[in-house]
Amino acid sequence: MSHSLNEIEAMSKRAARGSGLSWGLAEEAAKGTRWLSAFNLPGAALLAQLLEMNDRLPLVDVSPVSLRATFWRAPSGRLSPLIAGASLSDCAVQLMERGSITMEHLCVPLLAVPFMGGAALRLQNPVAVAWDGLKLTTDGHHLSLEGDTEKLTINLAERVTFYAPAEMIGHRKPVIRANVSPEDWDRLAIFAHRTFAPATEESRLRGAGAGLNDND
Amino acid sequence: MMNVPLRDPDTVMRLVRLGSLHQSRLSFMRILTRRMAREKWRFAQTEFHINDRGEGHAVYTAYAPDHAYSLIAFAHNLPNEKRSDRVIAEAWDATFTLFDGIPTPKDIARLAQNIPLQEAGRVTSTELSVSRANRSVRLWDHVVSALAAGHQPSQDQIDRVGYLMRTTAVYGSGKLGAADREMIADRPEFAVPFQVEMLSVYLTRWFVRDLVQHMADCQAAEAGNTAANLDSAIARSIGIGNSTGLGMAPFLLNHPVLFNNWIAAREAALSRVRSVENATPEAIALFRALFARNLQLLGNWRSGHPVQVTKLEALRDDTTRLQNYLSEMDLAAPYAWDALYRWAEAHLSTEGQEWIVSLLLEPYGEIVDSLAETMAADNTATFRIAGKMSLGELRSLLENIYGWAIETDWAEPANKARAWYVSEEKLEPRLGERFKEPIEAFEQPLAPGRDAAELYACLAHWPSDATVANFLLRHPEHRHSVRRSQIVGRAPYAEIRDNTISDQIMPIDMLRCKLAFFGATKFDPRSDRWVRICLYGNAPMPPELTQENCDYWVYPDLDEVSA
Repeated sequence: MSHSLNEIEAMSKRAARGSGLSWGLAEEAAKGTRWLSAFNLPGAALLAQLLEMNDRLPLVDVSPVSLRATFWRAPSGRLSPLIAGASLSDCAVQLMERGSITMEHLCVPLLAVPFMGGAALRLQNPVAVAWDGLKLTTDGHHLSLEGDTEKLTINLAERVTFYAPAEMIGHRKPVIRANVSPEDWDRLAIFAHRTFAPATEESRLRGAGAGLNDND
Repeated sequence: MMNVPLRDPDTVMRLVRLGSLHQSRLSFMRILTRRMAREKWRFAQTEFHINDRGEGHAVYTAYAPDHAYSLIAFAHNLPNEKRSDRVIAEAWDATFTLFDGIPTPKDIARLAQNIPLQEAGRVTSTELSVSRANRSVRLWDHVVSALAAGHQPSQDQIDRVGYLMRTTAVYGSGKLGAADREMIADRPEFAVPFQVEMLSVYLTRWFVRDLVQHMADCQAAEAGNTAANLDSAIARSIGIGNSTGLGMAPFLLNHPVLFNNWIAAREAALSRVRSVENATPEAIALFRALFARNLQLLGNWRSGHPVQVTKLEALRDDTTRLQNYLSEMDLAAPYAWDALYRWAEAHLSTEGQEWIVSLLLEPYGEIVDSLAETMAADNTATFRIAGKMSLGELRSLLENIYGWAIETDWAEPANKARAWYVSEEKLEPRLGERFKEPIEAFEQPLAPGRDAAELYACLAHWPSDATVANFLLRHPEHRHSVRRSQIVGRAPYAEIRDNTISDQIMPIDMLRCKLAFFGATKFDPRSDRWVRICLYGNAPMPPELTQENCDYWVYPDLDEVSA
């Protein structure tokens, strides 16, 4: 079904929160899913996949141990692309100074790519990422893809390297519209539902501060 | 030459002041009517297929220089027991969409299956908004029966209500599958925020006038009579109502940069006018004339809510004091506007101060109106956290912005008595009692003050030269607060500098602020969290819109029928 990007973002934010992410991370996950969707990439489906995989895991287990390390690794062995991606964005300046940052055992690596877009905007320089013979580059506004695009949606990448500065070679234009299958939408909705308070009669009558009838 | 500085965010961004804002020439409705007149938009009723029970559809098209936009209205025959203005309602007197272009019969057939369902329906990227409205039953019946009986309705009854229908939600920006703002933001007519919604409401008001006439015509015909035609001056005095609840309050918190840009534009406008050294006789005459017309608008502002009743009494006292001041003051003296503002600050209620602020901008379109172009926001550039910032810098940022929150005792239950949450019932936003209802687990992040204070406490034992990136790796729960602080560091009017979860919170203050930027008048709270207002009261109907009447219509002419 065709969805607006705002719908994708709103659903993704609730779903990410429902899976146990902090509000700040949920907001970024949602912006990222929106960003991928705008390029006609399956952001929502991949987010659903990741949330199912990491449902209610302690965040520390899937976060980088240290941002100074040569290779970013998670103590549990699998890095979350949302948390590692957020750290990558936080370390944009460091990325430029170091030239590259490498992550090991990164889940659903495509979900980390929007954070690279954020870093590119901050650095005002394109940033690139490579895994499994695939390379993506972005200046934050456009995206270019080279190599084996079948690897775009893999579940786990052994080694993912981010580079800055990089160079854009051709690009995809955003489509500003997204197609999400009803099944994937429902997968996200299950997580989102956890953020809604059950309807009670008291909340129905008092929570909105208005009555139920307006015949005046 | 004096350059009056902007007002301090600590003064402006308090709820009591935001809850006292008034419409101004930077309000979105007025920006739109000025543009439409300047660009000579054309308007046409292109379809009207409504039966004698009030069921059917109509289409109204606005022709901008490069695009046409059509309001498609569906009229329904709603039983009284179903008439609710709440989000959780499931049927309405009328439902609408603003269509990008001119709809084909196929589009209308598709939309007829979806628009009447509102949230339960789906729209596509050719639809720019989705909205609905309910009748003011009393006024509707009065106007229909008066016209059907061959005479004009009572102006007094109209003034008491102000509108025949009130919208109960106007959804834009991608809601329910509609076009995202990005798809149309590069069109000049939509560069300013909420122009889609304001256009939709402007055309809705025209439709409502035609519908009430149609129903009167049908009623008269049934009795073998001919109905009177609604007098055009009376029709102008009728606005469109709006009934707004809590859904609007989180908006200001969830769009900090956008909110900053609205307030910053208004503050810049005030500063520019206060910096005018010598007012021209024309500007002074216009100010004095609009002052008198604004008193008439105030005369028709009624509310039954005790808080607003008190504020209105204070405002009426303020206007008397202002009249005395203005009768003695020489507005041609150097910096007379600044002197007037400073006098108001010392002598008037907050409601009165903001009333005069809006009025001060009126004679100065040439230095104020261009600020409208600064009111939109592109969130992407400000969304990312600057991870290299030191915790020492973050700490002083927090002290600067959230000093009040850091000093608040958050262990005191009264200071966090409420919690914002979303109900599973149609996702209606609600405000509950944290200590009495099982809602805390569902709390939305709408208490930036409390969250900033928690962040500040959490930072206490970290070294000042550590970076935000390293801190957030250990404390992802503070990401949203760090981001907000960094945003407010660059955009000082982005944050409400008040407690949004205390037992004293009045969500209507947030609604009032947003509605004032829309251009609403007659703010009438129905509780601490629900309000009715009037939009486009006194505005020329679309076919009447000219360069002469496109700007000051909100203030009733002294010799004309008033709203």
